[in-house]
Amino acid sequence: MKPTGPFRVGADVGGTFTDVVLADAGGNVWTAKVPSTPPDFETAVLNGISRLLHGTAASGSEVAEVVHGTTVATNAILERRGALTALITTRGFRDVLELRRIRAPQMYDLFFQKPPELVERCLRFELGERLTARGEVLDEVDPNDLNRIARGLKEEKVESVAVCLLHAYAWPQHETLVGDYLRRNLPDVQISLSSEVLRERKEYERTATTVVNAYVRPVMRGYLAAMRSGLEALGIRSPLLIMQSAGGLTPEEEAARRPVYMLESGPAAGVLASQATARHLGLENVITLDMGGTTAKASLIEEGRVRYSPEYEVGASLSAGNRLTGGGGELIRAPSIDLAEVGSGGGSIAYLDGAGGLRVGPRSAGAVPGPACYSRGGEEPTVTDANVVLGYIRPGRLANGDIAIDPDAATSTVRDRIATPLGMDLLQAAEGIHRIANARTMRALRAVSTERGRDPREFVLMAFGGSGPVHAAGLARELHIRQVIVPPLPGLFSALGLLASGVEHHDVRSCLLFATDAEAASLERVRQELRQKMLDRFEAEGYAASRVALSWSADLRFQGQASEIRLELSGDPLDGPGIQALNEAFETEHQRLYGHRSDPENPTEIIAVRLVGQVAAPGREAGFRHGASAFAARSRRQAYFGSDYGVIDTPVVARSDLSGTARGPLLIDEYDSTIVVSPFMSVRRDEHGNVVMEVEDE
Amino acid sequence: MSNADITGGTRPAGEAPIDPVTREIIQNALASAADEMALALYRTAYSTIVRDCLDYSTSLCNAEGEMIAQGVTTPLHLGTVPYAMETLFRKYGESMCPGDIFILNDPFDGGMHIPDIFIVKPVFWEDRLAAFAVSTAHHLDLGGRLPGSSACDNTEIFQDGLRIPWLKLYRRGEPDEALFALLRTNVRVPRMTIGDVQAQIAACHIGERAIHELIRRYSLGTFTRCASELIAYTERLLRREIASWPDGCYTFTDHMDSDGVGGPPVPIKVTIAVKGDSLTADFTGSAPQVRGAINCTLSFTASVVALCIRSVMQEEVPNTAGLFKPLRIVAPPGTVVHGVMPAASSMRGITGFRMVDAVFGALAGLLPDRVFAAGEGGNTLVIIGGLREQGGRRVPYVYYELLSGTWGGRPDRDGNDGLCNIANVAANIPVEQAECEYPVHIERYGMVTDSGGAGRFRGGLGIEREWRLLEGEAHLAIRSDRRDHPPYGLSGGRPGRGSINELRGKVETRVLQTMISTSIKQGERIYHRQAGGGGWGNPLERSPQAVERDVRNGKVSVLAARREYGVAIDERTGKVDETATEDLRLRRQVAG
Repeated sequence: MKPTGPFRVGADVGGTFTDVVLADAGGNVWTAKVPSTPPDFETAVLNGISRLLHGTAASGSEVAEVVHGTTVATNAILERRGALTALITTRGFRDVLELRRIRAPQMYDLFFQKPPELVERCLRFELGERLTARGEVLDEVDPNDLNRIARGLKEEKVESVAVCLLHAYAWPQHETLVGDYLRRNLPDVQISLSSEVLRERKEYERTATTVVNAYVRPVMRGYLAAMRSGLEALGIRSPLLIMQSAGGLTPEEEAARRPVYMLESGPAAGVLASQATARHLGLENVITLDMGGTTAKASLIEEGRVRYSPEYEVGASLSAGNRLTGGGGELIRAPSIDLAEVGSGGGSIAYLDGAGGLRVGPRSAGAVPGPACYSRGGEEPTVTDANVVLGYIRPGRLANGDIAIDPDAATSTVRDRIATPLGMDLLQAAEGIHRIANARTMRALRAVSTERGRDPREFVLMAFGGSGPVHAAGLARELHIRQVIVPPLPGLFSALGLLASGVEHHDVRSCLLFATDAEAASLERVRQELRQKMLDRFEAEGYAASRVALSWSADLRFQGQASEIRLELSGDPLDGPGIQALNEAFETEHQRLYGHRSDPENPTEIIAVRLVGQVAAPGREAGFRHGASAFAARSRRQAYFGSDYGVIDTPVVARSDLSGTARGPLLIDEYDSTIVVSPFMSVRRDEHGNVVMEVEDE
Repeated sequence: MSNADITGGTRPAGEAPIDPVTREIIQNALASAADEMALALYRTAYSTIVRDCLDYSTSLCNAEGEMIAQGVTTPLHLGTVPYAMETLFRKYGESMCPGDIFILNDPFDGGMHIPDIFIVKPVFWEDRLAAFAVSTAHHLDLGGRLPGSSACDNTEIFQDGLRIPWLKLYRRGEPDEALFALLRTNVRVPRMTIGDVQAQIAACHIGERAIHELIRRYSLGTFTRCASELIAYTERLLRREIASWPDGCYTFTDHMDSDGVGGPPVPIKVTIAVKGDSLTADFTGSAPQVRGAINCTLSFTASVVALCIRSVMQEEVPNTAGLFKPLRIVAPPGTVVHGVMPAASSMRGITGFRMVDAVFGALAGLLPDRVFAAGEGGNTLVIIGGLREQGGRRVPYVYYELLSGTWGGRPDRDGNDGLCNIANVAANIPVEQAECEYPVHIERYGMVTDSGGAGRFRGGLGIEREWRLLEGEAHLAIRSDRRDHPPYGLSGGRPGRGSINELRGKVETRVLQTMISTSIKQGERIYHRQAGGGGWGNPLERSPQAVERDVRNGKVSVLAARREYGVAIDERTGKVDETATEDLRLRRQVAG
């Protein structure tokens, strides 16, 4: 097949593998799965792109867009490898960051430990200055303090600074002044102003978010710069777009400035791709499972909708209490797709604990050294090694030859390090590892379903990532889920999801207007400003106004409430009847959610107007076909399905071989994964190429 | 024994077992529903005390009124629900109808103290009582002598505020307008009080909806059986835990600085006796009922014991009525831990916190590895109330601030610097929020150097906050403690530094009592420093590197490092002088 430009590249970096896909104008895709290259993650992306360009004889100049999902920033937080960061606060308030909201994430836990702050107390500087809530200047910015702080920042060799002054969400003038001064005097230090990161009231939430931004900013910037120069070396000068935590793409400059909005960049693409697939299939309720080499991530699609969360914490554990109270991790007040993550993947290492118990993960062999069977220096047994021993994963070349599986290496490590010390036979030990990995993965699935009172039996499991299809059948059985869907190219699903995304910008303006006719004009003024700013921004990025779709919403509440309800607004100007309809819609929603409407004494306030601008991805609805020849391998393998079934001489087919409904056991070998169809399941391929497994009544 | 073993067992003959998946879903769905209730309450509430400080709780009960789930809210409310439900059943057991909503605050009718309103909604399924949704919230104001309906120097309950016995606020879905009118008329800021009552109703509405969904999916029978099994399961877990503790008897006495009206210190004494799989907490020997408003109900005292025991348990257990069954509480009527008419109780929270300290103190004898040294000693309440200009009118306002907290040193680690008291999962009021909505200005909010008790594991630093009144003149009520009886250390750890209150005027600073009602004028400032947590273990055994880190971060001064820890820090480099430290510590040990 002759590839025709322009091309788009999608690159999704995981802890173990980096997936790169190249799509041509006709919707054909070429793929590369290469080992990730920590800590210089961009190397693998560039290797992958280079290989694809080479393989398709395309030139870098034909690449129109590189779309990227990355967890570089999140990893920096989890591993505490961010920049040396300082914080500047209003005098008297340097402990706001450490005191947090004073809450603990759970009750009755005497041994709860607050996570250490990203900025140690000695690097939190107090500045003489003060504004009131109404913007009056009580104390001007003290120039001597500024000078002293700048000296301190130099002495401590601080790399990044967060500035969060009281009331800057509404009155940014003091922060701007501080920012200008520091940028002038410390040109090598990156400055994050709270008024540029999050214009919302509540000093802790704003401080914490700004601090996280500052902490990861040099890491993100360095990463994107390295990526950019690598792309240029490949002759690519196209825009580099980064997936945001809440979905939608943003240009690299924005990602380097406000990385706090990209922390969940990687996982978002897979969830959005699942949503698109579910919509295509007419499925309302789906649990997504993205299980790769290092982690498993689950999320819920309900009534066709992805769940978003307005704030979240990085590093907090999965306990149910966190969602209500917080306090267990680094708070980030930025919208994200709601997901639960556990350290469980193909690379998770199996070991014996002090008491001789078999444990799996969360430590991962990652890309380096990788599972023992990759023969890249890994010696410890991993989940993937167990899956090879069980016969689920085929020996030999995977992913078009990028990775070779050595079954002997898998066997000897599982035998020597697990089976023999435990006095078990090899298959039992391997199956034990496989099932413990399932149990860990289940925690993420439960966190988004049963722990929220959702019955998994009413959902379909959509499994992807390199390890998702290997484990999906067993997980579905445990959770009594009847149907499992494995989309085409499951190991590359997230990378393909990136290509299906468009550029998206979000903007918000805090205001304090009553929802009355009298304020309609003020509201329209706010909207006009937002609209203009949005369109200017797209224009600067090369997108004409005619291509931009705008969606409006407003946050409303009864005066005095602390939290608000978001309602969609039409693009048309709001007049008297429009305002009345808005009030009515708000009260109806309040009634629906909480069972009561307004109190005559409590007027309705509009506290924020939000705007999302989107430019759709080219060829978004077209779907993708694998440009390389389809994988075909009809054979049989000895696979072990637990003591109930024992070792079965199992047929192995390719996805394209499936016609009609087949019964398990069956192994479907794919480009970079294997779908394990257990003996208790039936399987078919639907008209879109998805593999659909169903639990048969036993 | 695994949990699965414990879960089995109490199935009436003839009923099919509930499959484990269904049981897990129902248990989690109940816990999650209680959390959803809490979120709804928080989202729709109006007052700072509920909306920002989160002084409220939500729970679900089965048809018998026994708790089957609690939201992640206020542990101190945990044990009060059974007492409230008992009186509710006594009064209305035969006359509950779908659509009814009950209201209560009277401590002498099953309530806790005047500011806490209970809202209870019976949940029906096809005209059969299936469950209850319960919410409890601390209200900004319910009338009485002073704004906030809370003052330590109230001497009888009628000064605390409006007493509401169990009444129907809604009958078959219709509001009782007379009752609403009475409420509106008797409170200072009706918009807030009524608004928060509505928020409580919203929470119950969410709870009801969740129960209905569960019953629709699993049937009333399955739901009911699961719910009661959950209670039995909790009880079994707790009994098994207590049985693993050594039998024995431990007594501990702690004190409050005053009785609320400037009187002498108030002792709280508790004896914890473990025998087999049950435990008795006997408060005999605690002070007689006091004049000030710090007397507790028996329900509150029971709550304290349950929360302490729950906190030292090693296993994760559901928060249900099963927690109370192995516990026996002895609290003689007419004492500060069990007040009788007309005891004032609006500020009784402080007594609750001191009982927590006393119970943990006694448990430290029993389970030394599981208990920490005393924390700050309870939330400080600062209530400022008066009239303010708004749109050309003088309107009443009440600014209700709850300041919390810090932790004591623990057997294996330092106390958390700045974290809510274990008994009250509260939050702080954002400075920006307070300044936007009330005529107050906050001068500073932070931690206090050298306030944490020294120990091998240091007590958490105390917190300070300073408010300035921007407008007119206002009533001021402060409830604090732990000035004269600072938080205790354990295993050789030192007590935390005591608290202080000051009224800082333009010319002079006046030291205020820990519990006081007074007034404040425009431009005057209130400064409060909370006590620091007690230390755990011998300070001379603290790692010099930990001391160095504390000095670097201004948590411990160079002077205190030397005096308390025997660690010499070179002021120029900020590093430990190892030789000097060794010498200091050696001499200190010799000196004993």
